[in-house]
Amino acid sequence: MKKLMKIDINGKEFDVSDGITVQNLIDELKLDIKSTAVAVNKTIVSKSGYREFLLNENDKVDLVTIAPGG
Amino acid sequence: MNSAIKEDDEMPQDDGLKIGKYTFKSRLIVGTGKYPDFQTMKDSAVASGAEIITVAVRRIDFNAKDNMLSYIDLNRFTLLPNTAGCYTAEDAVNTLRLTRELDVFKTDMVKLEVIGDAKTLYPDNEELLKAAKILVKEGFTVMPYMMDDPVLAKKLEDAGCPVVMPLASPIGSGLGIRNPYNIKIIKETVSVPVIVDAGVGTASDACKTMELGVDGILINTAIAGANNPVKMALAMKQGVEAGRLAYLSGRIPMKLYAQASTQMEGIVF
Repeated sequence: MKKLMKIDINGKEFDVSDGITVQNLIDELKLDIKSTAVAVNKTIVSKSGYREFLLNENDKVDLVTIAPGG
Repeated sequence: MNSAIKEDDEMPQDDGLKIGKYTFKSRLIVGTGKYPDFQTMKDSAVASGAEIITVAVRRIDFNAKDNMLSYIDLNRFTLLPNTAGCYTAEDAVNTLRLTRELDVFKTDMVKLEVIGDAKTLYPDNEELLKAAKILVKEGFTVMPYMMDDPVLAKKLEDAGCPVVMPLASPIGSGLGIRNPYNIKIIKETVSVPVIVDAGVGTASDACKTMELGVDGILINTAIAGANNPVKMALAMKQGVEAGRLAYLSGRIPMKLYAQASTQMEGIVF
């Protein structure tokens, strides 16, 4: 069985597979990559880096998109 | 003699709303907040004739039943990200840096707001200017929501903002234009376009604001909060167009006494 780690996604704690990348997380959550931006520990991850960016235990991940606003 | 308008080229020329390197036909920008549902938001945006619509940048809500994006035709509308809710230059700058990773934004235009007070939602001048300088340097087309302050308008223009966006009155207040003289002074002080952002309550406000000679208006609450948002969106469109046309046409001076509009020559009795 794969080892799990805890990460924070949009303020909620989740168990994910140890050593996953940002791209793995986006795939897992079935997010539309074009309308999603990612920050890990408040640092923006550029799209070109999703496949290489490894998530670590206790990382705080923000998955962001557009919302209604004036 | 037929004085009716015959040709388009007889109309006062309007070369459109220029925002940095971009040009738009519509002088009305509308927000997407506070609508009862996304369908009404969409129908109102279409009815308004706007080409630019503002949106916020927020964490994805995994429990949301509906997706806002599925109601927005990205070929029709240019999405303008805002920094609503940001109270520091740093937060506003970081929020807008995130937009670079969102492919739904086809331009580098951003609506910069840095709030200084929760009750009035008035902007924090110092933080606004600080954020504007950073974002201009990073290549954004910065559209700052600002107080109706001509001195600040000049500073933002000098900082490289290709447009300034003074408020008419507090966000969502519907009070209309509270200091038309300041708006006029701002228009005379800066050479970049002036877009009045926030406070417009109804179509006559939009019309009067445009009659001052400003270049555009940004409206959200007055449309979204109306009993019939779609019809109000159309009313705002017509208000903006009427006001612009009246401005270009040149109004008559105000006089204290009457001036007869019918000639006296040839009167019988």
